[in-house]
Amino acid sequence: MKAECACAATREPPKEMDSRLAGILSLYRGRPDEVIPILQQIQREFGYLPEQAMSQVARFTGVDESKVFGVATFYAQFKLVPTGRNVIKVCRGNACRVRGGARVLKTVEKQLGIKHGESTSDLEYALETVACLGACAVAPAVVVNDETHGNTTPDKIPELIQP
Amino acid sequence: MAAKDKGAAPLNDRVSVLVCQGTGCSSSKSERIRLALEEEVKKSHLDNVSVELAGCHGFCQEGPTVIINPEGVFYTHVKPEDATEIVQSHLVQGKPVDRLLYRDPVTKEARATLDKIDFFRKQTRLVLHNCGYINPEKIEDYIAAGGYEALRKALRDMTPEQVIEEVKRSGLRGRGGGGFSAGQKWEVCRRSPGNEKYVICNDRNILEGDPHTLIEGIIIAAYAVGAAEGFISFRTKSPLGFKRMAAAIEQAKEHNFLGKNILGTGFSFELQLRQGMEDFVAGEETALIASIEGERGMPRPKPPYPAQSGLWGKPTIVHNVKTFATVPIIIRNGAKWFAGFGTEKSKGTAIFALTGKVANNGLVEVPLNMTLRELVFGIGGGIPGGKRLKAVHTGGPSGGFLPPSLLDSPVDFDTLETAGSIMGSGAVVVLDEDSCIVDTTKFFLSSTQLDSCGKCVQCRLGLKQMVDIMEDITHGRGQLSDIDLLVELGEAIKAGSLCGLGKTAPNPILTSIKYFREEYIEHIKKAHCSAAVCKGLVKAPCSHTCPAGVDVPRYLRLIAQKRYDDAVAVIRERIPFPSVCGYICIHVCETKCRRRQLDEPIAIRALKRFAADHARKDALPKGKIAPASGKKVAVVGAGPAGLTAAYYLAKLGGHAVTVFEALPEAGGMMLVGIPRYRLPKEILDSEIEEIKKVGVEIKTNTRVDSIDALRAQGFDAVFLGVGAHAGSKMRVTGEESQGVMDCVTFLRDVSLGKEVKIGNRVAVIGGGNAAIDCSRTSLRLGAKDVDIIYRRTRDEMPAAEEEIEEALKEGVKIEYLMAPNKISRQNGHLDLECIRMQLGAEDASGRKRPEPVKGSEFSREYDTVIAAIGQRSDIPNSFGLALNKDGTIRVDPDTLATSRPDTFSGGDVVSGPASVIEAIAAGRQAAVSIDKYLGGKGLLEEKLLPPEEINAQPESDDEPKSEGRPKNPELPLSKRLNSFELVELGLPRAKAIKEAERCLKCDLEKEEE
Repeated sequence: MKAECACAATREPPKEMDSRLAGILSLYRGRPDEVIPILQQIQREFGYLPEQAMSQVARFTGVDESKVFGVATFYAQFKLVPTGRNVIKVCRGNACRVRGGARVLKTVEKQLGIKHGESTSDLEYALETVACLGACAVAPAVVVNDETHGNTTPDKIPELIQP
Repeated sequence: MAAKDKGAAPLNDRVSVLVCQGTGCSSSKSERIRLALEEEVKKSHLDNVSVELAGCHGFCQEGPTVIINPEGVFYTHVKPEDATEIVQSHLVQGKPVDRLLYRDPVTKEARATLDKIDFFRKQTRLVLHNCGYINPEKIEDYIAAGGYEALRKALRDMTPEQVIEEVKRSGLRGRGGGGFSAGQKWEVCRRSPGNEKYVICNDRNILEGDPHTLIEGIIIAAYAVGAAEGFISFRTKSPLGFKRMAAAIEQAKEHNFLGKNILGTGFSFELQLRQGMEDFVAGEETALIASIEGERGMPRPKPPYPAQSGLWGKPTIVHNVKTFATVPIIIRNGAKWFAGFGTEKSKGTAIFALTGKVANNGLVEVPLNMTLRELVFGIGGGIPGGKRLKAVHTGGPSGGFLPPSLLDSPVDFDTLETAGSIMGSGAVVVLDEDSCIVDTTKFFLSSTQLDSCGKCVQCRLGLKQMVDIMEDITHGRGQLSDIDLLVELGEAIKAGSLCGLGKTAPNPILTSIKYFREEYIEHIKKAHCSAAVCKGLVKAPCSHTCPAGVDVPRYLRLIAQKRYDDAVAVIRERIPFPSVCGYICIHVCETKCRRRQLDEPIAIRALKRFAADHARKDALPKGKIAPASGKKVAVVGAGPAGLTAAYYLAKLGGHAVTVFEALPEAGGMMLVGIPRYRLPKEILDSEIEEIKKVGVEIKTNTRVDSIDALRAQGFDAVFLGVGAHAGSKMRVTGEESQGVMDCVTFLRDVSLGKEVKIGNRVAVIGGGNAAIDCSRTSLRLGAKDVDIIYRRTRDEMPAAEEEIEEALKEGVKIEYLMAPNKISRQNGHLDLECIRMQLGAEDASGRKRPEPVKGSEFSREYDTVIAAIGQRSDIPNSFGLALNKDGTIRVDPDTLATSRPDTFSGGDVVSGPASVIEAIAAGRQAAVSIDKYLGGKGLLEEKLLPPEEINAQPESDDEPKSEGRPKNPELPLSKRLNSFELVELGLPRAKAIKEAERCLKCDLEKEEE
């Protein structure tokens, strides 16, 4: 059986990665405790954490590259593969669930043609579930990019996702 | 309401219009509302009115909201288009806009002002007192409300040790889950050697409406322990909340509440805001510290505790946002004041997120001595939709289920812990009868399992094993031994885990098994989920909930294809009374129909009737009759249970069955309990004919008094389906008077064609379907005034909603909260003395118990009084059977065998008064047992149609909007009252087919997870 290598190293780095990364690092002092804020900003900039950037972060902060990867793979919010530009988060917390959140998720999955944890092939949309948005009283809740939408129902989804 | 609010504040006083722009309301574009109001106010030149941006007051479900102060008028579900009306009608003319007011969930009355709304009125908002009433983006608002006074007091008038002492004396315990004494933590930190100390806040955006309260609390704590640097780890995906916190910190810096030499006191403190990591485990204090250090968020062993050695090894206090936010009020008003709230070991108030199946969802603050009952029913407004409370779950995935029997427990730390749950971060989820405990437990477990950091073997592997076992149970692969295995695993995980995640993850399992073991057993033994939730067991909730398991989605598809004969055949595979059930079934299937989540449930019963009415009898697939077994079975009682047992035993078992019926005609309650205007005789008779056609012999006018006698006649087994045909007594003086009768006798006499004289004025006592039947029958016998007298309220009446509606339409008067006290016969009529009732305390199921109002007795005159308060069975002692305390026959729940091995029983005589469909299901279950008892295999199944070729797909949710559930055409009122003619006229063809197509075909959905 032939195994297909799917590791990130085979991926091309994003355009002008080095200069954009340098711009980000220039805002920091190069301390170990800056690893997470730097990674957060890299993800905001590129939509994911390019492997080639990680080694630069390691050098910059003085933290071993393996540790940087350890941090990047531990936290759910960090993505190591390119993800969709528009991020849609459907809350999977219990209050949302009890109020029909599962049906909302299914509708979004159907509309975008992907499952949660995936991105559309044109990298326009990424779909995730999150543990709790803290908007329980307006359950079920969905966040599209930076906007929170409450009391979502399946019929509201088409408008929400492609306004 | 109107009278009070017409006297609105005179317009020369300052009026504030507060528009909530918290995350919840902003998600519905509340900013547009504020701008629209501002414009309208400007246009109207109302100089004394200011429109303000306000934070979240916690009642998000009513949003977007607008509060008009100083009156405190509360507007709900406001749209930008409403701005004009609010300004013109309320602010200019002094008339509040009624349609936007909050409605009480039970009485539906409008409650105009905050002080009249239970959700707010019953809270004790100390920490949250500013939330909703100030602009969180303006520090000036906070200062004007007394903000930063506590900081001033602490820095200028108190030493750090005094601050610690005050917090200790207040009894403040951590509000993030651990519940450890805050003051003690601070003391340890202060006393730890070294000059470098830190404070860290675990922020979940609770104080979005009042960020400065949090900031002030953090600064005071930093002063107390001697920290010069602090971090807020903002661990919620709320961009608005993050923005507001960042802006608040900047403003605090500008006002010298942060930075160097705060308020000239020499104390310096820098506060950094970080976008924190939301992973559940990263909220554990040592994991949180690790994430700030830039490490993986994995917990570290304690001791050393962070107060001794935390961030970068320095003494650190880590607190939940709510704990820090409580500090300013403690310093301002004093420890003694704070300790005046709550219980002995849990002082003060706490903030809870009240969610789930409760009328009022939101963020609330209550004293810790408040009970769960007051929280759920008082503030929460009870369970909507007339559903029963099943459990209250506290503490999120780390917490446990609390059964209704614990409703009177206070919500404090220790009580919850003793019960097996925890307060945790304050999540409270209310579950009703439509929630499955097993499924909810599985959900919580998979949550914590996903978030386990992996360090400890028990947590890492144990939780996964538990999730796998739960998957088995919810997919019909569970074994009874799994239950104890889960308990064993749970206890091992608690004992062997390093951090709070592992230690608390088993709580949902342990509490659910402790209090709801029966649900697990039902899932495992019967592959049944009574809430019809577990997709691994439930193909379609309708057929799963049907006591007889009728394949509803399949026959709906056949109706849509106009194959009515085949549709009826599908129904006949499970029950021998498709027509009867189509006319009168209680349709529990519809209560679980998933379509109701989109619009309305499918009219399943009406469609069943439609198919039965339009099927061609001779075209129905008949199936085969089994070869003769040589055994004889006696069935006592020709009601739904008995006839069903007889049918399947004869047709599929090949047994010779004789049914003995005491009354002159067969049918049981279908004949003598259900009036003809609901179920025509021809319909019942034709289905009884089909039963006779498979060889069942029915002997009417034959009462059976002895089972031994039947055995002596050669019967090898006996089924008892004698029902509950004795009306229960009201236990009221004068009950024996002439003119007083019980519902069973009344309805039976009418059904059997006897002449029943009831006069003009009839009172029917009771609230169930029998009472409705008696009342509508009385009208048809010529009574002019028919009153139903019921001791509780309409919401609690057990009668079917549609039946109540019809009775009212026909002119029956229903009196609520009334009960009979005394009856006497006077001058040719009855004198009925009644007493008024009021709703008192709730019983275990959450229903308020009615109590008589002393001195409220009054009398009415009637010609007839019918008692419809219940039915009992009349079982001859000569049967020699073991009975339950309520007089029903005791049977083995699986085999339905009585205390005599040769005798089986089912229906009302076993369950107490129930429904036709339940009796049918019991009859079939008993037939299987009897067949086995007689040496057969008990495989009484028949397929009347070949397996379905499934071309259809499950329906998508974005189908075109349907017209909704069709209304049943009915006989006009003018035609009803002189006859027993059938009232419900049956759906027209086109509507029926459309309705059948509205089915979501849940049985074709493939399970994904």
